[in-house]
Amino acid sequence: MWSRLLPRTIASRLYMILFTGLLLAHGLSFGMLFYERYESSTSMMMGNLEKDVSTSIAMLDRLPAAERPPWIPKFERRTYRYILGPGQQGGELATERAREITRLIGGVLGERYKVHGNTTSTHPERLQVHLTLGDGAPVTIELTPSVMPVAQWLPFVLGVQLVLLLACAWLAVRQITRPLAQLADAADALSPTGGSPQLPAGGPVEVAKAVSAFNAMQDRIALHLKERLQILSAISHDLQTPITRLKLRVEAMDPSSTSDKLLADIDEMQHLVRDGVAYARSAHGGVEPALKVDLDSFLDSLVWDYQDTGKPVTVTAHAGVPVTTRPRALRRVVGNLIDNAVKYAGAAEVAAQVGADGIVTISVLDRGPGIADAELESVMEPFYRLEASRNRDTGGAGLGLAIAQQLAVAIGASLQLRGRDGGGLVATITLPAA
Amino acid sequence: MDHTDHILVVDDDHDIRGMVADYLQKNGFRTSLAADGREMRAILDTNAIDLIVLDIMMPGDDGLVLSRNLRASKHKAIPIILLTARDDATDRIIGLEMGADDYVTKPFSPRELLARINAVIRRTRMLPPNLQVTEASRLLEFGQWRLDTTARHLLDPEGTAVALSGAEFRLLRVFLDHPQRVLSRDQLLSLTQGREAELFDRSIDLLVSRLRQRLKDDSREPAYIKTVRSEGYVFSMPVTLLDDGA
Repeated sequence: MWSRLLPRTIASRLYMILFTGLLLAHGLSFGMLFYERYESSTSMMMGNLEKDVSTSIAMLDRLPAAERPPWIPKFERRTYRYILGPGQQGGELATERAREITRLIGGVLGERYKVHGNTTSTHPERLQVHLTLGDGAPVTIELTPSVMPVAQWLPFVLGVQLVLLLACAWLAVRQITRPLAQLADAADALSPTGGSPQLPAGGPVEVAKAVSAFNAMQDRIALHLKERLQILSAISHDLQTPITRLKLRVEAMDPSSTSDKLLADIDEMQHLVRDGVAYARSAHGGVEPALKVDLDSFLDSLVWDYQDTGKPVTVTAHAGVPVTTRPRALRRVVGNLIDNAVKYAGAAEVAAQVGADGIVTISVLDRGPGIADAELESVMEPFYRLEASRNRDTGGAGLGLAIAQQLAVAIGASLQLRGRDGGGLVATITLPAA
Repeated sequence: MDHTDHILVVDDDHDIRGMVADYLQKNGFRTSLAADGREMRAILDTNAIDLIVLDIMMPGDDGLVLSRNLRASKHKAIPIILLTARDDATDRIIGLEMGADDYVTKPFSPRELLARINAVIRRTRMLPPNLQVTEASRLLEFGQWRLDTTARHLLDPEGTAVALSGAEFRLLRVFLDHPQRVLSRDQLLSLTQGREAELFDRSIDLLVSRLRQRLKDDSREPAYIKTVRSEGYVFSMPVTLLDDGA
């Protein structure tokens, strides 16, 4: 539940944590400062009261009633003043402090004066303490306990501090997220064909460590792929000679049903070996340079090659734009898709399109049995075959789509399969933006 | 037939060259066998060989090196068919650049090899090419076009690649190999026959018209491939070999 409330990015999370923490700490110290100020101003008021309330009341008591008013302003202090008269009647004493003040005044004045207090206002807190002088004249002490006013520049300083906090938090967050983003970019750019640039080493120790680990991983992947290619090439190479001998021997035999079956088996072995090598190579992408290619003639020539061998393959839409790609690899990708369509549907249509964003797609469409949605991803895995096709007539090694997919990635394109409206399959190659 | 063609089979695998030789003999050829380049040269010095079947992957000098050496020697006119182990476009084309006339991918069936041998012999007897494309000059230039014989596509003046179908490429190669020479439809048909069992019900005329379209050649006023009434076609543009990297 908490994780859902948290912001999505590390940067904003760190911001949030750092900023909230610092803000709380700051608020706390300000709060303590104010409390301390409040306490000290209260005790100062109490101290003053203690010292001069008895003097003031004694003087007022001794002065004739007519001479009292001029003295009143002289007794006034910041937090209390004297009023000649009964003052206001109000509610009960509201706070512990008010009761304490009343008790203090009562204690200082002693038995001679009857003292009672009441709160006249809670915001700001104000209380009045009433007593009666010796000649029966009422006197009221009105107290407004308040903290000393805060300096004008204090909110400004607080603002500057907040800005400073914000800047520091941003700097700290950047320290963490920038190397992370670089690492993510590098991982994204990591091409299975190798040849991706190494990340520059440097920065703080932890970042340098992650960078060198990443570079080492990249090297290991490249090595691993190279080994895989070597193994597959070696196996296929070593298999070619015995398969050739087998084939020559069987062909030298008198024709019979057995020799036909043997030949069919040999052909299947041969295809497996070929596809295996092709798959291993497709991951490597090859060294073919990218070229500006006239896409219309590219597709026409590809389709005519099929037509020349009697296969019903047609181009239904031309894009009319040149593309920059590796033509041999792209030819293999489109060719594998057409092969697949011809194998399962007997015919294929090829359509090229330019999207509104200038992205070029090439689709190979068929009216074959199609592929269940659940299996659309899996069919692009090597050696995966649909249950329905697990027989020799249509089988193959199950590498055609895997090769197409890997090669598409190697040339920066992507390959998607989906069901076609009205039955069949659509395989779409999305070429990288120019 | 008074002349029996003499085929030299060069392969380091004893069984394979033996069985290939048996099959070829059964089909009316004379054969000689060699296990490496040294044996091959010895046989070439003492026999008149009509065609060499050369395995690419051999210990010591491999088939590509031998083929290149042959092209630089006095035996440069003997056609060569390479046996390549890998079905990879790059290897095939390197083989052709190295001076081979054709290739067969291992594992091959003997019938396939026989068909290639017959086709190459027929082709070279009928019309030896005027231009010998070498590995150093894989680009042929004619008019405003260049043909990349390795990648098998045309390059327009802006350097955009214009792809060719297999049949188009073969037809264009025949024209470029024999510029300014009238070629009959029969000659063109047999010289452009594909390696796979193509149905090839397309007429040469259709193929020529497709090629003209590719070259943006006006069919009424063609600048490249001209029609010679009742004789055939002629490629009328001069062809030059470009050094690689040019």
